[in-house]
This record gives sequence, C-alpha cells and structure tokens, in this order.
Amino acid sequence: MSLLHWEGTLREVTGIMGVRGALIVSADDGLVVAESAMEGLATTDVAAFAAALISRAQRTASAMHTSAPTRVHVTAESGTLFAVAGTDPLWLVAVTDPTVELGRLRLLLGDLAAVLV
Amino acid sequence: MTDSILPPPGTSQGLAFLDLGERLRQRGQLEAAATVTLAGLGRYPALAGAHDLLARIRADQGEDAPAIASWRAALECDPGHIGALKGLAFLAFRARDLATAERHLEAAAMRDPHDVTILAALDRVRAAIPAPSTESFRLDDLASGLLLFDGQGMRLTGGVGPGTGELEADATAAEASGLAREASRTTRFLGLGAWQHLVLEGPEARVALVALDADATLLVRRPVLTPPGRLLASSARAADVAREWLGRSR
Repeated sequence: MSLLHWEGTLREVTGIMGVRGALIVSADDGLVVAESAMEGLATTDVAAFAAALISRAQRTASAMHTSAPTRVHVTAESGTLFAVAGTDPLWLVAVTDPTVELGRLRLLLGDLAAVLV
Repeated sequence: MTDSILPPPGTSQGLAFLDLGERLRQRGQLEAAATVTLAGLGRYPALAGAHDLLARIRADQGEDAPAIASWRAALECDPGHIGALKGLAFLAFRARDLATAERHLEAAAMRDPHDVTILAALDRVRAAIPAPSTESFRLDDLASGLLLFDGQGMRLTGGVGPGTGELEADATAAEASGLAREASRTTRFLGLGAWQHLVLEGPEARVALVALDADATLLVRRPVLTPPGRLLASSARAADVAREWLGRSR
C-alpha cells in the first residue's frame, strides 16, 4: 500500500467526529509511519506511548497464556487512545475526545487495519 | 492380536483401527475399544483422531480425568480439533464449569461456524450462564477471571480464569501492573487525564483493566465472544465488588 493510500485511510478515520488524530505506527520502534492529526496533537509522542502500551499489553497476554491482543484501547477522563493491529509491526492508532462514537470507530479501525500492509 | 489390524504407518489401511475402535465403543465393548485404540496410538502418537477416540472411550467409562488428558493430547496434535473441543466442552458443562464449556465451544465454532451441533451446544451453555444482572463476582476464586492486584504488581486476590493457577495469576499481576502504569503515563502525558479502563481484545479472550484507586487495579478476563459493551458493564460491577473487598481488607 502506498503512502498516499495510507493517508487516505487516516483521513477516513479523522472524518469521524471526535477523532483528534490517526496514525500508523511501527510498534517495534514506536515511530510514526503516516499521520493525519489536528494541530496540537503530538503524533510522535502518541506513537511512542502507543508502542509502549502495546508491548506491555502483549506481555500481559503472554503471562495469562492467551494470544497477543489485536486491539488495545485505553479510556481516560478526556478521551481514548485506540490501537488496532495491522500487518506486523504496523498498528493503526487513533486519539479521540470523549464525544467520539466509540463503537463506530472500533469497527472502522478494524476494517482499515485488516488491509494495512 | 492388534498387530494384525495395524499395517505399517503411512499405508492407506493404517487407520483402520479407528473404525474398529469406534465400532467397539458403540457396541459398549469399551475395554476392547481402548485396547485397539491404545495399540493404534502406539504407532500413530501424533494422530489427533486417535486421541479423540480414546477420550470418548474414557468418557464412556466415566473416567473424566483421562478423557480430558486425551482430548488435550488431541489438541496438541491439532489445536483446532473439533471433536476434542466439543468433548472438553461437554465435560466442563457436566462439571457446571460453564465459562470453560463456552470457551471450548467458541473455539470449535470459529473452526466450523456452520456446524449446527456446535451452535446448538453453545446456545445451551449460554442459556445456563446467569444473566449479567445476576452475575456473581467471586474474587477469591482463581477460575473467576477476576484478578485484583496492587501498584507493585502483587496479587491481592483472584485469578485469570479456568485452567490457570496461582503461577499464572501472579505473573499476570506483575505484568498487568506495568500495563496499568503505562496506561496512566500515556493518558496523562497526552492530556487525556486519568485513565479509567483499558481493554485488550485478542483471538482467545477479552480482557479489561479497571483503575480502582492509586494503588489497586482489577483485571477482568472474559471469553472472546463477549460483546465489548457487556465486558465493560460487567467490569464496572466487578469493580464495585472489588472496592468493597479493598475496604474490608485495608
């Protein structure tokens, strides 16, 4: 998939009301591969934190003797960080405010991550 | 005697013992069926169908533990073996371990989503599971899928579900506390405020972490087909129970 195609995918995500930014992250090194974000969202920080969170989530799943997660989302007082696995090591990550339609976002990220290669 | 019905491995007649063993089982000649099947397994130890047959014979003999061992051996040979998954689900259902029965049937349904016998069994198991409003939360039960741990990664009570013990529970507490710290760090640094809950969705399970206070987190593990909204609703109720437990314990 080309960078142009990836950016189209990310714009689809940020088209959902309440999404502040979407990015494709390499979970191996926590680097941004592609991004589409509102001003003020530090995407390099998002990528680094998302990668750390994914790594911790994988270790937790391993301790439980269950398969590695393919979706990780953390909800806080003022928003949510949602990450969905694409082709290893890529993850599709979105940061939202509390008004987002989380169910719709969850499905869209799943659909888009499935073709993220 | 059995050598005469067991041609060398790799030949097309090599699996005839499965038919014979099954016919003997159906006739109720369980000892003979077991003898034939064990002889076959001696030659074909990696044959999932043979372990499955032996398990069914053991289950017919009322020997649940050997039956479970044989079905687990079948799954080691073929991780998605439907007969083994159905068999383990049946024994779990009989032992009223409904969560385990549901988990095995879900795995079988993923392997063959059109098998009506699996879907019917899954319906039956789910009908026997208490509705969320009457769901009980047993924090002192390793099999409950409820794990309470402190900020240092020490298990306070609970476990990570059926088939797991203290070892897995302690290891999970140690790792999950790191995950909780990472969630806290992430949301605060990104300006999202204090984290409330975190959800992991995988091919085998759904897991929620709920922040109870600065020094305690609750982990809730549920089967993979649990709807995400139900997971969160159930986790919120379990968190109330966990807070009461903490209030009594501190």
